[in-house]
Amino acid sequence: MAVYEHDVLVIGGGLAGMRAAIAAQQLGADVAMVSKVHPVRSHSNAAQGGINGPGVGEDGGPWEEHAFETTKASDYLGDQDAITVLAQDGGGEVLQMEHWGVVFSRKPDGRMAVRRFGGMGKARTFFVGAITGQAILHVLYEQLMHPARFQAMRMYEEWFVTSLIVDDGQCRGCVALNIRTGELHAITAKATIVCTGGLGRVYEPSTNALICTGDGIAQAYRVGAPIMDMEMVQIHPTTLKGTGVLITEGARGEGAYLLNKDGERFMQKYAPNMMELASRDVVSRAEQTEIDEGRDVDGCVFLDMRHLGEQLIKERLEEIYEIARDLVNIDIAKELLPILPGVHYIMGGIKTDVDGLTPVPGLYSAGEAACVSVHGANRVGANSLLDTLVFGRRAAEHAVPWLKGKVFRPIPESVVEKDRAMIRGILDRPMDGDRVARIRRDMGVSMSANVGIFRTPERLNKQVEELKALRARYEKVGVEHKGKVFNTDLLFHLELGYMLDCAEMITKSAIERKESRGAHTRLDYPDRNDAEWLKHIVLTKQPDGSEKMSYLPVTITQWQPQERKY
Amino acid sequence: MKVKLKVKRTDPEKGITGYSQYTLDMHDSATLLDALISAREYEDGSLALRCSCRSAICGSCAMRVDKRARLACRAKVIAITGGDEEHEILVEPMGNMPVIKDLVIDQESFWTKIRQVDPYLQPAGPVPEGEYRVPNEAMLDLTHTMNCIMCGGCVSDCTVLEVDKNFIAPAALAKAYRFAGDPRDGHTVERLQKLSEYGGIWDCTRCNMCVEVCPKGVAPMNRILQLREMAIEAGITNNTGARHTAIFTKSIVDGGRLNEVWMVPGSVGMFNLPRIMTELPGALKMLRAGKLPLAQVIPPGAPGSHKMKGMDRVRNVVRKSAMLKPKKAEVTD
Amino acid sequence: MAMKYAFWPGCVSKGAAPELYIATNRVARELGIELVELDQATCTGAGVIQEQNPELGDALNARTFAMAQQLGLPLMNICSTCQGIESMVQDKLAKNPEYLAKVNEILAEEGLHYEPGLEVKNFLWILVEDFGLDNLKKAVKRPLTGARIGPFYGCYILRPSQLLGKEEHPDRDHYLEMVIEAVGATAVDYEGAKKCCGFPILTINRENSLKQAGNHVHEAQDLGADALVSPCPLCHLNLDAQQPAAKSVTHFDIELPIIHLPQMIGLALGIDPKEMRMDHHVVSTKKLLDKLAQPVPA
Repeated sequence: MAVYEHDVLVIGGGLAGMRAAIAAQQLGADVAMVSKVHPVRSHSNAAQGGINGPGVGEDGGPWEEHAFETTKASDYLGDQDAITVLAQDGGGEVLQMEHWGVVFSRKPDGRMAVRRFGGMGKARTFFVGAITGQAILHVLYEQLMHPARFQAMRMYEEWFVTSLIVDDGQCRGCVALNIRTGELHAITAKATIVCTGGLGRVYEPSTNALICTGDGIAQAYRVGAPIMDMEMVQIHPTTLKGTGVLITEGARGEGAYLLNKDGERFMQKYAPNMMELASRDVVSRAEQTEIDEGRDVDGCVFLDMRHLGEQLIKERLEEIYEIARDLVNIDIAKELLPILPGVHYIMGGIKTDVDGLTPVPGLYSAGEAACVSVHGANRVGANSLLDTLVFGRRAAEHAVPWLKGKVFRPIPESVVEKDRAMIRGILDRPMDGDRVARIRRDMGVSMSANVGIFRTPERLNKQVEELKALRARYEKVGVEHKGKVFNTDLLFHLELGYMLDCAEMITKSAIERKESRGAHTRLDYPDRNDAEWLKHIVLTKQPDGSEKMSYLPVTITQWQPQERKY
Repeated sequence: MKVKLKVKRTDPEKGITGYSQYTLDMHDSATLLDALISAREYEDGSLALRCSCRSAICGSCAMRVDKRARLACRAKVIAITGGDEEHEILVEPMGNMPVIKDLVIDQESFWTKIRQVDPYLQPAGPVPEGEYRVPNEAMLDLTHTMNCIMCGGCVSDCTVLEVDKNFIAPAALAKAYRFAGDPRDGHTVERLQKLSEYGGIWDCTRCNMCVEVCPKGVAPMNRILQLREMAIEAGITNNTGARHTAIFTKSIVDGGRLNEVWMVPGSVGMFNLPRIMTELPGALKMLRAGKLPLAQVIPPGAPGSHKMKGMDRVRNVVRKSAMLKPKKAEVTD
Repeated sequence: MAMKYAFWPGCVSKGAAPELYIATNRVARELGIELVELDQATCTGAGVIQEQNPELGDALNARTFAMAQQLGLPLMNICSTCQGIESMVQDKLAKNPEYLAKVNEILAEEGLHYEPGLEVKNFLWILVEDFGLDNLKKAVKRPLTGARIGPFYGCYILRPSQLLGKEEHPDRDHYLEMVIEAVGATAVDYEGAKKCCGFPILTINRENSLKQAGNHVHEAQDLGADALVSPCPLCHLNLDAQQPAAKSVTHFDIELPIIHLPQMIGLALGIDPKEMRMDHHVVSTKKLLDKLAQPVPA
C-alpha cells in the first residue's frame, strides 16, 4: 500500500478540476488529479447552452451588468463580493478558452456570437452549438494532454475517493480506492481542491448524470467543513418527458415558446416582460402551476421550436434535435416537445471564500461542489461553466503560493485502515433482501415529492422521517458482489451514503428557511423576508459528531435587495 | 415489454469468460442501457459496465450490440429487436481494446493514439487580445468533429486496427483534423507531414466502418479524407498514399478508366524495384488467368496509352471542375 | 417483364476482371434484363480521386448520371465501390442545390443535365428489388444445393447505410444471403462478410491489405465454405488474385474460390461455366464446379 505525496491534489476531473490542475501546474506545483471517471466523462459535458462572457467585447457587455443580473437572479442571496469576482474574471476565462481552441460559434464578421439566456437583460452568452460544456471540457483535456503537462502530472483515473484526510487541523489529501484493483491508498497533498460537482442523483428524476452523487460535499462535511445554502436546489424548466434528460435553455434563448395544453404561451401570466427567458426558478414554478392546475398533457407542458426553422435547429440545437429524435421519437422542427421541470443543480455546497478556500486549512473547493456563493438562491443560466473556470483557477492560484515551503508531518499508512475496515464491513454484510438501488430510488422519489418546487412543513417533516428510515435501511444493506476489480456494486453503496448525507442537509435547511426565495418556495411562507432571512444557512459537523446549524450574513456591496420581477 | 439480453462476461479475478442471460421487464421506450442498469441493480450486482450521462454526451457506455459498437444509452431496445421480444440482444465489450471486466474495456491504447497526434492547439504568432476572427463555417465544420465524445466505438470496430496495432485509427485522426482544419492553428503542415507517415492517414482502407458506428455523426473517415486532401494540397506527396492517388487520378484523366497495371509502380515509385518485384509472382498468376489487361501496358499519359471514347469532353470536365473548389478558411484581422 | 438499365460496367470488369463483364451480359440476357452500356462514362473515382479532388469526382459522376437520364433509364453498376461512390455523390448533390447548379453548368457544355432522383443500383439490389427473388427461384435450372457459399459484400454497398437506402430497404445488408439461399446454396455465416477486403491499401500497406484478405478467406474456409461470392470486383481482386500472396503473409492454408455475383446466378441458371470465364480466376473454381456437376442431392 503506497502513500502518494503531492503539492496539490485535485479531486474531480470536470471543468473546475481541470482548470485548477492546469493553473496549479502553470505555477510550478506538483499536481495530481483523482477522478472516479475519465475526465472527459465528467458531467460538465452536460452544460449545453453556453457560457456568459462579461467584459468580452461589446457583446459580453460591461461586467457590472452581468454582476447585477446574477445578483438579481440569486434573489439577493448571492454574495456580491464573490459575484463581482465572477463577473470581473469571467471574460478573461472565456477568452482563455477561445485561445486554447474552443470552437465558439461566430458571427458573420468572424467574432464570437452570443445568444440570450434566461434572467439576462441582453444576449451575452457565448456558445458552441448546443455542446458548449462538452467543447470546453474536451479542450481543457487537450491542454492536459500536452506532453509538458501530461508527463508532469499524476492522473489517478478511475479512483474513487472514500474520505478526505484531516491531520492536525489541515486537510492532507484523501484516501481513495483504485477501481481497477480494489486497493485503497492514501493520496496525500499539501492542498486539496474538491471539484466533485453536484448531487443531482439525490433526486429522481434528475437531469444529472449517474455520477453526480454529492461525494465531495459529503466528504467535506464529514471532516468538518461548513456546508452552505443546501436548501437551494435548482429545478430546470425544460427536461424531457420520461427521461429527465436536459433540454438546453439555449432553445428558449433561440426563441422557443412554452405552451400549455391549450396552446397558450402561459409565461405571459407569470413574467410578461421576459416571458420564457425569465429566471429559471420563475419559469419552473410557472410550469408546475400550469401542471398542478390541469393545463398539462400527461404531466407535461410543451416546448415549441417549430417556428425556429430546420436550418437554425440543425446548426445551433443539433444535440436537442438528436436527443428528441432518438429518445422520444419527436422531430422538434415539426412537433411539440413534451417537457417538465426537473432537478438540475445545487446552488449550495462547500462554503468557500473567493479563492476557493474553506475554513479548513488546505481544503479548497470549486465548481458545483462549492458555494462561494455566486448563485445564491437561483443560478442564472450559463453561469455554471463560468463559475467552474473562474474559481477553479483562483483556488489553484491561492493554494500554490500558500503551500510553498510548507512542511507537514507525514501521513501514516494507518489512515487507510479505517476506510479499509469500513469497506470490509460493507462487503461482509449479508444480503438482507434489500438493495442499494431500491433505497436510492426510494430516496430520490421521496425527495422529489417532498422537497421539490413547492415545499410545505408537512412534506418536509415527512421527508425527515423518510430519511431516517432510509438511513436505517442503509446501515443494514449489503452488496451482492464481493470482487475487487471494478466492483460498481460497492461504489454505489458508498455513493448512496454520500447522497443520504446531502439529502438530510437539503431537507434540514429547507425546513429552517421560513420564507420563499429563489428556488426555495414555501407555501406556508410565500414571500421573501429580507428582514429575517437575508442570510445563509450553514451546517457544520462538530468534532463530537453532532451538527451545528448557523447563519452567515449575505455580503452586499452595491446592489440593495429589491423586488424581483421579470 | 420483455427484454432478453445475452451479455459476454469476463471475470479477471477468476480468469474466466462466458455469457450471462437476463430476461427483464422494461417499459416500451427503454434503451439498452436502461435494461443493463436494471439487470445490474436488481438481478446481478457483479455485472460491470461504465455509464453516466444517459444522453450520449459522456461516451462511457460504448459496447458491441449485436456485433456493432454502439452507445447503450442511444440504442432503443425496440429499434434493435424490431419489437420481437424473443430477439436476444447480444451485448459484448468493444473490440480492439483489452477487457478489464465484463463490458469495461481498457481505453489506454485509445488515449495513447489520441496523444500521438499532438492534440492541442498550437497557434502561430502572438495570441490576440480578444478572440481570433475566423469564419463561422470553419467553426461549424470543427464543431462536427468536436462532437466526438471519445467513446471508442470507431476504434473498436476499425477493420485496419484489427490487423495492425500501429494504425492511429479513426478517433485520433478525426481529432487531428480538428487541429489541422482549425484556422487558428499554426502547425498545419507539420501536422500533415507527421500524419502522412506510416500508421497515419494513408493506412485507412476507407471501409466506412467508423462512419457507420459513430454515434455522434463525426464520420471519422471523412475527416481522414479531408486530411489526405489537405496533405496533397500542402505538397506532402512523397509517399505511397499520395502517389497512389496521383497515379489513379492521372489514369482517369488520361484514359477515363483506371489503369490497373500501372497502379503499383506508380504508387510505390517507378524505381522501387524490390517492392515492385514482390508483385511479380502475383502478376504472372494474373497473366496466366487472363486477368492482366494487356491494353493497359502503356503508362497513363504516355503516347499510345489506352483511352476511352470521348476523352476530350472528359478533359473539359476535369479543367472546369476546379471552379467547384470551396474557399479555404483563414484568420482575418 | 421489361427491365432495362443504363449500364456502367466500371473499370475492373473492363480491365483485370473481364469475366465479370462477360458473365454480367450473359446472365442479363438469360434473365431478360436489357443493358444499354454507357461506353463514354468514366470511373467513379472509387474514393481515390476524392482524396485529392472531390469536386472532380462529383462532376464525373454527375456526368454519368446525366447520361443515364438522357436515356431515360435507371443506372446499373456491378461494383460495390461504384455503388457507394455514386450514392454518396447523389446525396451531396441533392443536398446542395447551389453546388449542383455549378456542376450542371459544366455538364451543359456537352448537352447534359443532372436532376437528383435518378435510381442507381448495383446488380445485387436489382436482383432482389426489381427482378424479385421469387422470379429468380423460378428461373433457377440447376439449384446450387449442397454448395456452401460465403457472402462478401464490399464495404461501399453497406456503409454508410443511411446513404445506401437503409430506411427504404432495411434488408439490403442481407441481400447476398437471400440470393445465395434463393439459388439453392447455403449461406455461410462468418464475421468477415461485411468487413473490408483490404484492396484500397494494397499498394500502400501491402501487409495489412493481405492480412485482411487472408483473414476473411481463412475464416470462411474454416467454417466450411466452398466459395465466396461478391458483388464487388475490387474485393474479388484482393480475395482471388491476391490470395496466394495473402497466404504467404498470413501463413494460413487457404485455397477458396472467389466468384462474382453474376457467375453464381449464371451457374444456377444452368449457363456453362466456360461461357462465364470461370477459368479466368487465380484460385481455381474447379472444386466448386465439380461439386456442382454432381447430380442435385435430394
